[in-house]
Formats: sequence, structure tokens, C-alpha cells
Amino acid sequence: MTQRRVVITGIGMVTPLGIDEDVVWRRMLAGETGIGPITSFDQEAFISPYKVKLAAEVDSEIVAEALATMRRRPVDRALDFAMVAGDQALRQAGLIEAEPPFEPREVPVIIGTGTGSAQSLSQAFGRFAAKGPKGLLPSSVPRVMFNAISANLSMHFKLTGPNYMVISACTSAANALGDAYRRVRSGEFDIAVSGGAEGCLDPFFFGIWNNLGVLSPEPDPAMACRPFDAERQGTALGEGAALLVLESLESAQARGARVRGEIVGYGESSDAGHITGPNVEGQARAIEKALQSAAGVVEPADVAYINAHGTATRTNDTTESAAIRAALGDVADEIPVGSNKSFFGHTLGACGALETAVTLMALEKGLIPPNFNLVTPDPDCPVRLAGREPEAMEGSVALKNSFGFGGGNAVLVLAGADR
Amino acid sequence: MDRNEVLARLRGVLEESSTEPIDWSQLAETSTVASLGFDSLSILDVLYGIEQEFGVELDAGDVIDLETVGELVALVGERAA
Repeated sequence: MTQRRVVITGIGMVTPLGIDEDVVWRRMLAGETGIGPITSFDQEAFISPYKVKLAAEVDSEIVAEALATMRRRPVDRALDFAMVAGDQALRQAGLIEAEPPFEPREVPVIIGTGTGSAQSLSQAFGRFAAKGPKGLLPSSVPRVMFNAISANLSMHFKLTGPNYMVISACTSAANALGDAYRRVRSGEFDIAVSGGAEGCLDPFFFGIWNNLGVLSPEPDPAMACRPFDAERQGTALGEGAALLVLESLESAQARGARVRGEIVGYGESSDAGHITGPNVEGQARAIEKALQSAAGVVEPADVAYINAHGTATRTNDTTESAAIRAALGDVADEIPVGSNKSFFGHTLGACGALETAVTLMALEKGLIPPNFNLVTPDPDCPVRLAGREPEAMEGSVALKNSFGFGGGNAVLVLAGADR
Repeated sequence: MDRNEVLARLRGVLEESSTEPIDWSQLAETSTVASLGFDSLSILDVLYGIEQEFGVELDAGDVIDLETVGELVALVGERAA
């Protein structure tokens, strides 16, 4: 079967800057960060102190309001985010009825996550630690199982294609989108729902990150996560979800659906090096493979924006810059590189999807979101960096990089709808 | 234990075990069990909650034919005595 063109007909997002994409975009252009002091759990309530006090949190109240309109109540943070984002995406795509019950649709649900149903898992462990097996709810299995998110999306929206989670740390959502992209591209399915969800701001899961030493100790939220800055001191964690409806162009046109953009290439690799340390060769190979997969459709010189993984750790940003140079050569001189993590923090298993959604919006609007807190570009990051103000995008093709612990790398080549 | 106290404590158990967006402040003895939206899985959490809250062990067979919350209040009150 001929390879089909894969477009995006729906985007949904739950982010530390809000759950309305227009609000999120406006706040990004204004240089507002979603990073702030942690309020979702009491850091003082533990035997030993947390070093890191900042994270990018989603507003629980607006999520609860959105769930109420879906006739749901909060159950688990990551799951709740995914459900709200899924509802937005499917409604935007015009694929679901106004209210349940929904007609069954044979659509796969392929979702990335870093920590899964972390809140439910932590709560269950806490009950077990206090009371042993008798402390565990009978419903613990379906609450904590690592596929709870895709399962609930499938059940609520009556999506009867395969449903499963993709777990590859910071690369999860990109890998999930890549899988979904291939299933639509091949003609196996006309439509797929994919993305990522992350609810990692749980005391235990935040604790394991607190101790790893990659989170920035900077107390000013606006400066805590400063991708590509010479003075950067690490990343900040964030939570949220983004879901996208992927669809063949033929199906979208037949339905008269609004096309938000297109996936024109996808490449992936593993470093097979260090479990947390990144690797120039592995990252460059993923970029090259993504561009090769798009060859004939877009050329490297067409790339007008790179939405970087850009975590603001010392090693990621230098490695990623070197990988961009290695893969693109002199063409890299012309391509502004920006990171969204100064806005959302590092949303782990959701970042590949959330930042893809932002990239699609950037392509639609022809505007590159700013590196709003880039004070001193690091000379060891020899790429062209987007500045502190939004700038015009000179073209309609972008790359989205995701590079994860475990050495997995995935790069999406995205194009505007008007290509 | 009077019925009002049982109902109040039962309300807490039901709300905790439910994933439905129900207004629990409206729960009364006349509310039907069916209207609360429990399924074969979530009812297990209710039974677990009743055991934790009242020390009363019920199984699915005990509750399957109950129609109203009042009947559940009566059953729990009787077994807790």
C-alpha cells in the first residue's frame, strides 16, 4: 500500500501554563513561566528535606472543572490530564459526539509516559507500608497498572483499536507519536490518538529526581531552567499531558477536518552508551534518520526551527548542540533553536507530545516562541539560538528533538498545513 | 449506632470508593444503590471500605440484591451491633 501523508487534526493540552492552547501560546510569547514553588504536596511533611523546591505544576482546579464537564472526577493526576487533553483533541478533530455515549471507533491509543499513574502507585505503596496487604484497595490493580492511562482513554472514548503505553523516559511521547505515525502512514488505520501524560510531581517520584542532581538549585522560578545559557544549573520538573489526533490526509479531507500540520518524517536511535549521559553520535543519528525519512518531501535547508530537547542540564544542551551541528552541518547556522522547558519544565514522558503541539502552533502562526530567559548564550552550544523575544519563522518545517534517559532518541519532522 | 450515624459514615465510604461525579451531599436512605453507579470492581472497594470503617465483613452476595441505601444502612447497622 502506498505510504499515506499523516496530518494532525486535533490537539489537546494540559500544561503548567493552562489548558487552553490560546492562553498557553499567549503566555509563552509573553515569556511567562509555569515553574513555581511546589504547592501540590507539603515538602515539610517528610522526615528529611527536599533540596529542590520548584516545579511546573498544572492548576488542579481548572482540571477538575474540565473533568466535571466530562462527568468525571479527579482520580489520578496523569490520568486526569490525559483525559482532559484527549477530550479537547477529539472534540477539536470533530470525532466525538457532544456527550457520551460515544460511538465505537477503531482507533489506536498509543500514549507515552515516564511515571505512569504515579499518584495512584504512590498512594497504594503508602497504604501497603502502613498496613501491609490489608491496606490495599481491591481496585489497586487497574488503578496502578502502567497502562491505566491508555486503557481509560480507550474505554471513555470507545476507541477500539489497540491501546498501550510507551515507556522510554523523556523520549516516550515522541516514540508513541512515531508508532502512531507509522500505523497511519502504512494505511493500517485512518486515525490514531497519541501523545504523552505525566504526573511526576508526587512526593516519592519527585524525591528520586531531587536526589539525582540534575534539578536546578536556582530559587528564582524564571531563571531556574535556562536552556542553552552559559550559567544554567539544571532542569526543573513539570507535569501535564498533550494528545494529538493523527489522521491520513485523505481521511481528513473527506471529513472536511481542519488540518493543524503534518508529520513528514521520523527518526530514532539509541546511544547504547551511558544510562543517563547523552551521546552526540546517537542524537545526531536520530536527526539524520528523521531527515532521511523526509527526503524528497523536505530538505535540511527547509528546516526553519528546531524545538530542542533543551533540558538546561549542562550535558544535554552541549551534546544536543553538537548533535545538531553534526547532523546539519553549515545549514545549522540558519536554524533558530529553542527550548520550551523554561516554560513547562521537563514534563518527562509528555514532553515529546506537548512540545510537538507547541511546534505545530508555531508553524501555524509563523512565530518561534522565545528562549525567554537566555541571558548569556553558552559558547559551548554552537547553534543559532532563538532570542528572548518571539521571532518570525522563515519557513514551514521544524524538527522536534527528544532525547531520553536510557539513551533513546527520537526526532519528528513537522510541517505546516500549508505545505 | 443510630441510622444517621451509619449513613454519614457510609456516605464517606461510598464517596471514597466511587469514580462517579455524584453529589454525595444528596445521598439519603431513599437513594437507590443502582443510581450510585458502582460496578463489580468498585463495589469491592465499597465492601473493603465498610470493613475498614465499621469492622463489618460483607461480601458481594450480601449486597447484590439491595435496592436502597437504607437497606445497606440497616445491614451494616445490624452486623456492627
